[in-house]
Amino acid sequence: MPETASAIHIRPVDELDIDAITGIDEKIGGSYRPEVWERRIGYYLRRDPEASVVAEVGGRVVGFMLGEVRSGDFGLEEPTAWVEVLGVDPQHRGQAIGRLMLEAMLDHFRDEGAKSVRTLVDEEMAEIGGFFRSLGFQPSTLRPFVKPL
Amino acid sequence: MSVRTATLPKKFHQAVESWRDAYIPDYGFLMENWEKGFPHEPRFELCAYREMGMCDEIECGEWKGRPKYTRAADMVPEQAHHVLGALRAQASTEFGSIQQHRLTLARAQDEEEQFWILRMMAEELRHGYQMLHLLVEDDWTSVSKETSAEMFEDILSMNTGSHLLGAFNIDFDSFVDNVVFCALIDRVGKYQLAMQKVSAYKPMAESMPKMLREEAFHLAAGVVPMRRWVKSAAQGDVYVTMDVLRRAVNKWLPRGLEMFGDERGGGTNVRFGLKPMKNAESQRLYREEVGRLLHDLNLRYVRARVKRLSRAAAETLVTEVLADRETREGIRFDDLLRLPHGDFFRRRGVPAFTLVGVEGETFTDLALYLKHLAEQLPESYLAGRDFREYVELLTRVHRGEVTIADATGRMPALRRVGGACSCSKAVRWVRDEPVPAPAPSDIALPPA
Repeated sequence: MPETASAIHIRPVDELDIDAITGIDEKIGGSYRPEVWERRIGYYLRRDPEASVVAEVGGRVVGFMLGEVRSGDFGLEEPTAWVEVLGVDPQHRGQAIGRLMLEAMLDHFRDEGAKSVRTLVDEEMAEIGGFFRSLGFQPSTLRPFVKPL
Repeated sequence: MSVRTATLPKKFHQAVESWRDAYIPDYGFLMENWEKGFPHEPRFELCAYREMGMCDEIECGEWKGRPKYTRAADMVPEQAHHVLGALRAQASTEFGSIQQHRLTLARAQDEEEQFWILRMMAEELRHGYQMLHLLVEDDWTSVSKETSAEMFEDILSMNTGSHLLGAFNIDFDSFVDNVVFCALIDRVGKYQLAMQKVSAYKPMAESMPKMLREEAFHLAAGVVPMRRWVKSAAQGDVYVTMDVLRRAVNKWLPRGLEMFGDERGGGTNVRFGLKPMKNAESQRLYREEVGRLLHDLNLRYVRARVKRLSRAAAETLVTEVLADRETREGIRFDDLLRLPHGDFFRRRGVPAFTLVGVEGETFTDLALYLKHLAEQLPESYLAGRDFREYVELLTRVHRGEVTIADATGRMPALRRVGGACSCSKAVRWVRDEPVPAPAPSDIALPPA
């Protein structure tokens, strides 16, 4: 049975979420990468532990969304929020968990004085692109460029 | 939310800087290398932060809904006394932990982890500064015969052995202590700060959000290295073994539990609107959280040892090995970390000075219990002052020479007497008798 929004608890990420996030990533991508998440979660906790969130259902972490507010990147001098990583346990998709996590992050970003929120999505990941579009994200004039080395 | 920054009056600020120079000798190195270690992150500043726009009404207790207090003098004396006690204890822990971390910081094997701890020490200094700011900014004469300046001096002159809470009177023996302390003892700090965030004394509540944000990193500075170490141990490295970590957890967890106060207490704080939970409740949540940490570390270890195991299979293996102690896939019971029983090795609270083993087993023979402790605690710790004092008191309790209440009052068994410059180590140690208040200090602050 799908969880209702009230059964989903959104809270800031903490250091004890590393294992659960590693597990969600493994379910999605098939690779067990604890070192990656130890480093990344450590980074976000150091920068701003209230900016990144996890979603819990029945006390278990089923989703995560990591980001922060930065200034000065890519000529964006004003405080700009970035949503950089997200993952939802495949068994818990379709329950608006991503939306709830994003809303919690946006509240925090506003408190931190961010005027806009940005993210980068690979065009091949249509599902994620659709997710952000459905929540009001528009294509930006800031275009990504890449050059193989 | 907006944040207001403030600094102490010049003479007090300079006193904290002098203390910093004495106890964080690598502070200059931290600041010189800040951008390298923490690129694009705001540089550390020694100041007090107060979050504006927080709740104006008392959030729990008898006077819930009434306006919060902005001055100590507006509180009833018993309430103000509790706040002052919490403030001094908090300040003592912040400065005390730096003195402990300093001893073994240089022994880190990994530069990144060492740099994390160094940053953490600077932030603990700021937390202490934050508490001193509350002490100096308000007038506490309604509940203290000592002036704010005297209390300020007293806190800065404390040293390992004279701090108000036991966990801060234990010397570190290796960098393992730096890391496990962050994972276990800073976790208690997180609970205390989170509870004080609702304090009816508004300046205290406003001080908590920034401290909590910094504390989140301090916990990570403990947990992430521990995760790396268990992986390394699983791969056969001999630097930090699971046995070393298990013993370190056994050393620190009992002290962490005691930091919540006596299990029967905490009601007054709740009634006065100073904290939302009684001691036993917050202690239980803390212990459960440590249990989760140890479970995650066991999973990390097992999956590094037996790489083909799925997460679910590793979970099952850990559960089964801990339950029946049978070796599976080469993983032995002794390879795994276990949560010590809540009554193990306690010197304060309900189980103080009882002979309870790490798994909750009870002993009747003191010699057998001491042998058990020797098997469960780090060898280097057994040779130290804290353990010796504990054993002496435990022995006297079990001979009937001292009551448990008296013994509890004597841990920590040493206190500072007389005056000492905050920057010196000229502290004389004496056997303490239970005294309700710290001895007044005659330390002179640097001239303004």
